[in-house]
Amino acid sequence: MNSVTSVILRRVGGMLVVMLAIVTVTFVIVRLTPGDPAAMILGDQATVQDIADLRTQMGLDRPIIEQYASYVFDALRGDLGQSIFLGVPVLDAIANSAETTFFLTLFAILIAVAIALPVGIISAYKRGSVIDQIAVGVSMLASSVPSFWLGLILIQTLAVSLGWFPTSGYGGPGASFATRMGHLVLPAVALGVVNSALILRFTRAAMLDVLSEDYIRTARAKGMIEKRVVMRHALKNALIPIITVVGLSVALLISGAVVTETVFGLPGIGNLTVNAVMRRDYPVIQGTLLMVAGVYVLINFLVDMLYILVDPRVRL
Amino acid sequence: MTTISKAGALTAALLIGTSTFAWAAPPAGSKLTVATIGEPATLDVQLSPVILVQEITQHMFETLFALDAADVAKPLLAAAMPEVSEDGLTYVIALRDDVTFHNDAPMTAQDVAASLTRWTTVNSKGKAAAAYIDAIEPTGDHEVTIRLNERFAPLVAMLSQYSVIMPESTLADPLVEFVGTGPFRLQERRPDQYIDLRAFKGYTSPEGDANGYAGSREAMVEQLIFTPVPDANTRVEGILAGQYDYADSLPISAYDRLEASGVAEPVVLKDSGWMSLNMNMKEGVLTDPRIRQAVANALNSDDLMAAAFDNPEFFTVNGALFPESSTWYSDAGMDIPSEGDMERAAELLEEAGYDGTPLRILTTRQYEFNYKMAQVAEVYLEMAGFAVELQVSDWATLTSRRGDPAAWDIFITNSVFPPDPSMHNTFTAAYPGWYEGEGKDAALATYLGAVGDDAQADAAAALQAQFFADMPIFKVGDFNSLSAASTKLEGLEPAVWPFFWNVSVGN
Repeated sequence: MNSVTSVILRRVGGMLVVMLAIVTVTFVIVRLTPGDPAAMILGDQATVQDIADLRTQMGLDRPIIEQYASYVFDALRGDLGQSIFLGVPVLDAIANSAETTFFLTLFAILIAVAIALPVGIISAYKRGSVIDQIAVGVSMLASSVPSFWLGLILIQTLAVSLGWFPTSGYGGPGASFATRMGHLVLPAVALGVVNSALILRFTRAAMLDVLSEDYIRTARAKGMIEKRVVMRHALKNALIPIITVVGLSVALLISGAVVTETVFGLPGIGNLTVNAVMRRDYPVIQGTLLMVAGVYVLINFLVDMLYILVDPRVRL
Repeated sequence: MTTISKAGALTAALLIGTSTFAWAAPPAGSKLTVATIGEPATLDVQLSPVILVQEITQHMFETLFALDAADVAKPLLAAAMPEVSEDGLTYVIALRDDVTFHNDAPMTAQDVAASLTRWTTVNSKGKAAAAYIDAIEPTGDHEVTIRLNERFAPLVAMLSQYSVIMPESTLADPLVEFVGTGPFRLQERRPDQYIDLRAFKGYTSPEGDANGYAGSREAMVEQLIFTPVPDANTRVEGILAGQYDYADSLPISAYDRLEASGVAEPVVLKDSGWMSLNMNMKEGVLTDPRIRQAVANALNSDDLMAAAFDNPEFFTVNGALFPESSTWYSDAGMDIPSEGDMERAAELLEEAGYDGTPLRILTTRQYEFNYKMAQVAEVYLEMAGFAVELQVSDWATLTSRRGDPAAWDIFITNSVFPPDPSMHNTFTAAYPGWYEGEGKDAALATYLGAVGDDAQADAAAALQAQFFADMPIFKVGDFNSLSAASTKLEGLEPAVWPFFWNVSVGN
């Protein structure tokens, strides 16, 4: 077995242990949290007995160990249970929401990278110039703006005043793919702009580090053209911290999307999770947390693998 | 004698255009979109009688009776008001013979009896009614009889809300098929995205002019869509942008913008609910009635409502169990001051030997008005000599904690007005607060057995007087809520559970 395969197998094994720990911790935390789905379904009129009766009907009065064993056993078979509120299997609820979050995150990260990468490189290259000062100033401002606030401003200006985009939702019954994507423009901009600040600062710092290295000076001394020095030598070597921060940003975007999805009324994983927590829809809370944690773990794994690809000297 | 088939009668009726059978198709492609505060917990309104569930499902499901604008029950799926025996123990209800379910099956007495029986087993009010019901049975093709073991005055009011009629074949726990008789049928539900209802071609309207939830009903749009928009500011922007035709439950601060917009107009729902501080009568310091009276004397209702609702146009200080606009309004027993009488409160505390045990008040920031009211109540109660401990949590936690009598002394809540005095949650001894007592039992029994409007009104006033003497809750006041409708909507009647039959969307 070569060393790369060994690294991958070790990491996959670690990922499985982490996932089991996450299942256990979320199960326990969710069950220890006060509030219960029966009370939320029955509303304000319900008596204590009404709530107890419905809990029994839903199997929530079974011993917690029994519920946990049954959950883990079903999860291993790929069954995350049935949503208490939505009347559909948890996996279906997640699948229904996944498209929104996937494209929202994708668009947002593309916007963030499209802004941050060129501006970060130019800013580092023109260190101390007016362009650099403006880029750093604007990135500071962007990183201090909450995405929900920017979202509301975008709704107010581009959706309400100018009528260019819908204010919220995901297109309604029978909406085409293009219509649904149109609903993601404003939230993706809100998320992308805010997240571009972090990537920009990392890109600038990484490029500054690399540009001061001896081999860059040597390349210049050898008469290599400046564009080639920056793009081929400097950027390539600055990529590892940039990849790390882009990976981190994807993870942050998924969690940041919780608020943005609520503001824009988007039926994504974030909204599903928040609603499930509010309603104490245990199977959905567990399912979405497991899925989000799985994405985090997977992104970390992929970022590590990218390190190896980009720089073969790296051995984890 | 000449006889004609039902189909022949229908054709003839359509030709002369005078029958209730006539169904005028709404304009092709017509659509009305409603932005709601969130996704409903379920579409099973028998199980979950919360405002959002009722608002949506009332377009799909119907009850035997419906409340008119004055909260008086009128026939809906029933053909007439029930025939009640002289002893008040037998209700014979004639059913309309022209009602079809969304699955095209005709509504039968068997369906009605089975649906009502389910209601008595899953609905909190239905369960309360079950104690008085001996039998619910079909006694004819279009007749159902309910036999009681004791007089039960609120029966018809109870049959006007939540006790919806479904085909017997679809009744299940949990309910998975949502088949009703309403002017709209369920086309598709995509959780957290939309609930898509379509005009039901087989719908036949009850007779009589539209009046509140009663009278004539007609689907004027082909498609009625409820879309969850949890953020209140986004609902405001959505209706101002023309994306929604109706938006629920908006911040009062949006009133001026809506009024000035030209695209939407504010809809103020008068007396849409009431606020109360509910007290624990089972355990803790408030089991002593003098200390409950001290709480009531200490609080200043005007300040509590002002803190919660900010704009005086949107609340009324009213301690009575019903608003002044209601036929059930009475001032019986209302001699408790509501301006913060600290001296009297302190006297009562001394008399009761209050030992300084903190009052644990449950409140939530999920409903900001609830939290603000708690903050002001805390100040007044401390001024009167109470020690106070605010316990702030989300609503789900609050509803869980209030079920444990050892965990709290006061919880703050808001409610909609029931159609009948006895249907106030507080009068149910099993409701958190656990209001019990011989005086209450006697007053309630007198009310439930009262026959005739005058006797019922007198008994309701006596029930309220007993309520003030026992002080199970401190009723603070009534509030109006704000929604908004597109200026294109025609025929909309403001209602706590907004309904969209008889409503069209113009250009």
